[in-house]
Amino acid sequence: MNAEDRVTGKPKASRDPRASRQRLLWRFRILRLVRPSRVSDDSPAGDDSAVRRRLGFSFWLAVVWLLIMAFVAVCAPLLPMADPTKVAFSGPREPPSLDAWFGTDALGRDVFSRTMYGARISLAVGGFAIVFGMVVGGSLGIVAGYFRGRLDQAVGFVFFVLLSFPALVLAILITATFERSMLVVSLTIGILAVAPVGLLSRASTLVFAEREFVAAARVLGARNGRIIVRELLPNVVIPMGALTLLGMAVAVVAEGSLAFLGLSVAGEDAISWGKMIVDGAGLRDLQNATHVTMFPVAVMFVTVLSLNFAGDRIREYFDVKELAF
Amino acid sequence: MVEQASAPAPLLSVRDLHVRFPTERGAVNAVNGVSFDLYEGKTLAIVGESGSGKSVTAKTLMNLLPRTAQVSGEVTYDGQDVRALAAAGTKHFFGVQMTMVFQDPMTSLNPVKRVGEQIAETLRYHLGRSRSEALEEAEELLEVVGMPEPARRVSQYPHELSGGLRQRVVIAMALACQPRLLIADEPTTAVDVTVQKHLLDLLDRLRRDRGMSMILITHDLGVAHGRADDVAVMYAGRVVETADARTLFFDMRHPYTEALLRSIPRIDDPVHHRLDPIPGRPPELIDPPEACAFAPRCIYAQGDCLGGVPELSGLVGLHRFACLHPTGTERGMAAMSANRAAGVTAAGLPVADSGGGG
Amino acid sequence: MARFVLRRVVLLFAVLFAVTFLGFAAMNLLGDPLVNVVGVLAELDCEGIEAGTVEDTTVDAASRDCDTVAAAKAQYHLDRPVPIRYVLWLSDMATGDFGTSFQNDQPVSEVIREKLPETLILLTMAQIVSLGVAVPWGVIAAYRANRAFDRGSTVASFGLLSVPNFALGVVLLYLLALRWQIFPSAYESGSFGGLVFSLVLPAVTLGLPLAASYQRLLRTDLITTLQEDFVHMARAKGLPPMRIMFRHALRPSMFSVVTVFGVSTGALIGGSLVVEQIFGIPGIGREIVTAVVRDDFPVVLAIVMLVAVTFVVLNFLVDLLYSWLDPRVRAR
Repeated sequence: MNAEDRVTGKPKASRDPRASRQRLLWRFRILRLVRPSRVSDDSPAGDDSAVRRRLGFSFWLAVVWLLIMAFVAVCAPLLPMADPTKVAFSGPREPPSLDAWFGTDALGRDVFSRTMYGARISLAVGGFAIVFGMVVGGSLGIVAGYFRGRLDQAVGFVFFVLLSFPALVLAILITATFERSMLVVSLTIGILAVAPVGLLSRASTLVFAEREFVAAARVLGARNGRIIVRELLPNVVIPMGALTLLGMAVAVVAEGSLAFLGLSVAGEDAISWGKMIVDGAGLRDLQNATHVTMFPVAVMFVTVLSLNFAGDRIREYFDVKELAF
Repeated sequence: MVEQASAPAPLLSVRDLHVRFPTERGAVNAVNGVSFDLYEGKTLAIVGESGSGKSVTAKTLMNLLPRTAQVSGEVTYDGQDVRALAAAGTKHFFGVQMTMVFQDPMTSLNPVKRVGEQIAETLRYHLGRSRSEALEEAEELLEVVGMPEPARRVSQYPHELSGGLRQRVVIAMALACQPRLLIADEPTTAVDVTVQKHLLDLLDRLRRDRGMSMILITHDLGVAHGRADDVAVMYAGRVVETADARTLFFDMRHPYTEALLRSIPRIDDPVHHRLDPIPGRPPELIDPPEACAFAPRCIYAQGDCLGGVPELSGLVGLHRFACLHPTGTERGMAAMSANRAAGVTAAGLPVADSGGGG
Repeated sequence: MARFVLRRVVLLFAVLFAVTFLGFAAMNLLGDPLVNVVGVLAELDCEGIEAGTVEDTTVDAASRDCDTVAAAKAQYHLDRPVPIRYVLWLSDMATGDFGTSFQNDQPVSEVIREKLPETLILLTMAQIVSLGVAVPWGVIAAYRANRAFDRGSTVASFGLLSVPNFALGVVLLYLLALRWQIFPSAYESGSFGGLVFSLVLPAVTLGLPLAASYQRLLRTDLITTLQEDFVHMARAKGLPPMRIMFRHALRPSMFSVVTVFGVSTGALIGGSLVVEQIFGIPGIGREIVTAVVRDDFPVVLAIVMLVAVTFVVLNFLVDLLYSWLDPRVRAR
């Protein structure tokens, strides 16, 4: 590419509209976030790639927040906090005070400690779901992408069917069919993650299966299983891993939505942000005891934002677009 | 500036034009001090390889550069400062006074609008025609540019036309408001060889009929031959040689011009004549060394060529060239034979003893 | 083009088959279908009661319950083998017979007819809000790409995409309806105008995050389009910037937005479940959630099927629309 072409900077390659469309649909489904792509930056100077290679201060800020939430989620019972299910002395709908930092809810329970406990289900379900999605979707995708042919078509069709339901509606069908235990809710959201993650791993596999090192391994007589595990898996795991946090953000929101609808993990001691928000979302509570909803809303927002932000930086850092899209 | 005393004022005058693009790897010096004049009714051909800055020059004239480009120098059209006009957002200047035809007709037409609409649009905006008048005129324009079945074409989409026909549409679009100056940026590079000549002749005829001036930008000296009144050869963002067409073709001084001429086939070449490609590649424009940019590819290159950028000799309007050992002069002959004897130029380019030199 | 449409139609039917089969399987293959449909009533020994071999303590009630059980068996063809049951069930659905809610004996098709308009209006308004916000926003961001406004809107859209819509809904409800009282806090069905006005907040809740992603897509595409030759050509023709933006650049830059339109409607449908809950809108979304809580399986199944089929068909139509929008694809 000579200098003049570079500076007048036109994407000359004629884009096949349909292929780019499929890519887009799928990026939209996986990430929900559509970020400006580097190719289309209008200034030839663009963003300095050296800058993009750094994760930056706000990334670490997000990570610190996530670590705090994870710590709280794991250690909640050990921390010196009020019992989240016990009625406090101060009475119902008390505004925030030194005693109860976030105030108390309609039943007089401590909102701060409930919010902290709420991290447990949200993060556990979110984490489990994305791991499930990666294990099941990831392996299906690799196998489909490696063997191609009929198997690929079948797996692709399954993914397509899964994506043919609006996510929350599919979740509802599952939760309506089974008891709403922790495992079922996690699995439900995990199943939602299978198709997008599977498509991603399939696409990465397609890219890497063409590369020399795979051909070389094949020539050297490696078996398919060995090629998949030793050659493809490490390469496919990178883009998948880079998208973990983004996927987790989606899963946390999905769990929150189910909880908000009263369809997440059932039981009095199953505290979840979505449930807390809906508990305080009645008009009177909203007007007179705003803190009951707004604190969990704020904590949840910051957590999802951190997941999204950190996830996006990681995606950029590993340049997943180049690897997979 | 010293002008030719008897000549009228030029229609377009460019003085000391510089264009730089900041990039992450440093500034790209795309155009480095280009000056030329274009008179009413004349054709100037700007010739050079890709990367020579010819297209950037054209885009600068039309104010089409990205915002990040840093431009300096003077561009005067009919006594008016073009860059000031553009900055002020003057209406009905671009498209009416001067306009441009682009290289690739595949991409220079809007894919989702009908051909007729695209032509009519200009007429409606600049000349205030009604929709139906404009469409009628568009049809006439298509006829003027030799489009078969113009009545049917107006309602077709660009992808329904061949490359050659699309370029005719582009030309019709450019001519709609009777501009006085047409900039044609490689107008035939992207179309079939068989229609290239048709298009070039069409442009030439239209220019003559309408008394337009034209800047014809091309990498092919053969295209300029017979159609241009003046030729400017550009290399690495500079004009390295400029003269009237006759002088340039038959009495060129710059080794690059000579090399360009050698690299195109001619009708009087013997059968199976080997064309001489220019060795090496065009130079990088980021942090260029203080030397003649062509020296690494030049079979005449001497030590002093590497010591500084040669200035363009002479006055604007005369035969000018930027070379220390010009071809066809004694200094050039001496340089060439020295290099042949050594088997290598001062810049390290190997030279065969019995090359195609003349 | 004909082959393309044909292939899409085949895929459409295959997916419809698979989607309905999933729903069917949820009812028929996971556990006893009778239990799924009528719940505890399935345990009644109706044959025994009829034959008088089983002592029936509450004669009247039980016989009515037995009618319900019989009706459910007939409705879902539970006495037939599974494959035939599926075919019969499908043909029932296709003819508009979605079954009966055994919680309140109302035909599901009636429930749907009652609740669907609200949801459709809400979804339409949400798409209008998101496009109405995204197009000007994206155009300005692209026109001044990488300047302050553009950078600011990157941050803003990132934030918007990170708010769960139930949280956004609650916050908007609090601020705009309760605190500043600009919009009504509750659903009003008195007049069409009042209905639309009361749906503004829910539509904004649904549409705003979508507007953020539309805006990103549009901005990226516009920036690419603005570097295309035909835009340079339009500039060389001397057209003013905004005219070039709207007449030349916008339409070829809408493909990405159109592409995700179908998928995003799926996200909106999911969101409508939540938003209808927050704002008390008696629509399909609220109905399905109520049905799940009440274990009213026929209603859940029917609505899920309806939504999934609509969604699949919508995406099919968007595919066709896309081809229509881009004449280049049309030609292939």
